[in-house]
Amino acid sequence: MTAELPPGLAIQKVDERIMTLNVGPQHPGSGHMRIIVQIDGDYIVACDPDPGYVHRGEEKMAEYRNYITNIPHLERPVIHDSCNALYPYVLGVEELLGIEVPERAKYVRVICSELNRCIYIMYWLAIYGIFLGHSTMFMWPAGDRELLIDLMEKISGARVTHAHFVPGGVRNDLPPNFEEVCLRQVNYFEKRIREYAAVFYDNPILISRTQDTGVLSREDAIRLGTTGSVLRASGVSYDLRQKEPYDVYEELDVHSPVMKEGDSYARSKIPWLDMLESCNIIKQALQKMPKSGSVRVKLKPNPKGKGLDSVYKRVESGRGSLGCHIVSDGKVEPYRLKLSVGSFRNLIALPYLLKGEKLGNMPSVYWSLNYWPVEADR
Amino acid sequence: MTNTATGIIRALNSGIKHIATKRFTLRYPEEKLKFVGDGYQFDPSTGVGIAGLKGRHMLFHDHCTGCQLCSIACEGVAEAIAMVKVPEEQKQNKKSIMPQIDYGKCVFCGLCVDACPFYALYMTNDYELSSFSKEGLIYTPAQLAVKPYVEQDSEIIITKYGATHG
Ligand code: SF4
Ligand code: SF4
Repeated sequence: MTAELPPGLAIQKVDERIMTLNVGPQHPGSGHMRIIVQIDGDYIVACDPDPGYVHRGEEKMAEYRNYITNIPHLERPVIHDSCNALYPYVLGVEELLGIEVPERAKYVRVICSELNRCIYIMYWLAIYGIFLGHSTMFMWPAGDRELLIDLMEKISGARVTHAHFVPGGVRNDLPPNFEEVCLRQVNYFEKRIREYAAVFYDNPILISRTQDTGVLSREDAIRLGTTGSVLRASGVSYDLRQKEPYDVYEELDVHSPVMKEGDSYARSKIPWLDMLESCNIIKQALQKMPKSGSVRVKLKPNPKGKGLDSVYKRVESGRGSLGCHIVSDGKVEPYRLKLSVGSFRNLIALPYLLKGEKLGNMPSVYWSLNYWPVEADR
Repeated sequence: MTNTATGIIRALNSGIKHIATKRFTLRYPEEKLKFVGDGYQFDPSTGVGIAGLKGRHMLFHDHCTGCQLCSIACEGVAEAIAMVKVPEEQKQNKKSIMPQIDYGKCVFCGLCVDACPFYALYMTNDYELSSFSKEGLIYTPAQLAVKPYVEQDSEIIITKYGATHG
């Protein structure tokens, strides 16, 4: 064999100490992606995350559909957080078409988006529990999610992919006496998640496994461009609901949690604190919401953008900032649509966090980045 | 050391308490969660939908004019709706075409319901659609006209001891 091989196919020399391991894409501990780790004994020397296994071409698909029929497929990347996944798109289209949204619709959107954030985080937490071998923390969140999924089902009629937000408001009004049911279930939900502290977050076994592993300093978190819970766990108070309030977040009191340790423990605790904050926001929104009124402005069929135009909108999703850039050329379809997702931005930190860690800490560090493979690949 | 021990005991304790509480989960095929309203409907005059479960569609033959707007709406979503000729005796409109829905493709988004200007399409609470063949999932206009009957009456009940389905 003298012929030159392309670089990717060249046979590597076997090293005496360093071994290369492929974790994924079928491994349950990696999601739909591959993490190539090089280990020396039990310690990780280098790590190379390799996403892209679930690329669906959402951005290209959007160029062939009009502004309304884009809705069902744009929420697919994160079905558990589908309201937040649609939010920046809907806000962007509203600005492109120059639509003013009714006040009540804005509140309904905030409630849906906070409910969805909790639903997403509960799912994330269930998987985090099972990654650490804590099966109670898998069962409890998976069960308690049901309280909020039930609420979302009452609002939109679907359990996961709601297709509820549309440019101009929301698809339908809240069902009768929703406020009462919502308040009851959210109160109970809040009481339940407070119980998680004793069984999980104050559990000395969890603390000893996650404290001081994968520490991301404040400077690195900013330099690497991380976002959402990862950024806030490293001591940077940056939440788009406070910094660039969209819809009615200005009128609500948002105290987004911040921790300064930057380790896996802080990164896993921030989403939990986020849920408590979400419950708080939902209760405020229920109180301040106008009791009646329109929830949707009627659009022309097949709305068009006004000539060459572009808009960028971002919201705070369950995984951090989620941006949507829409370019319109005056046709019924967008000319170009680009999503900037939190998952992908957080994944960049993984090689830096895993260097020098034990292989056994890999799942906890990896999942604490609040990463959703399908969203990162779009 | 004592901290570790008390921490573990606290964690175990908070789990053990749940032995005495009622189960929260739902016995699904026997019990079904109650849903609101009469299924998802849309009022074209106000442009706002009416909350309800998004399950299989129901087609009101006497309202459908064969305008194909539902099929056009679905083109960009799933291409699940095909307009088919209905037999002469079922004929309700001049063109004698009506939507036929392929549930192997439908994603239950409800955009076709929003598109229908004549109140002819609704979505009902029947979400258990399964069939042994692909063809069995294609519902003809005659099948869509049947109103499904599904018993759904469980609700989440919250007491001071915890939540259950009942
Ligand atoms: S619900 Fe959506 S996918 Fe199903 S037929 Fe209607 S438009 Fe098509
Ligand atoms: S169901 Fe409605 S939209 Fe579809 S063809 Fe009939 S009248 Fe037109």
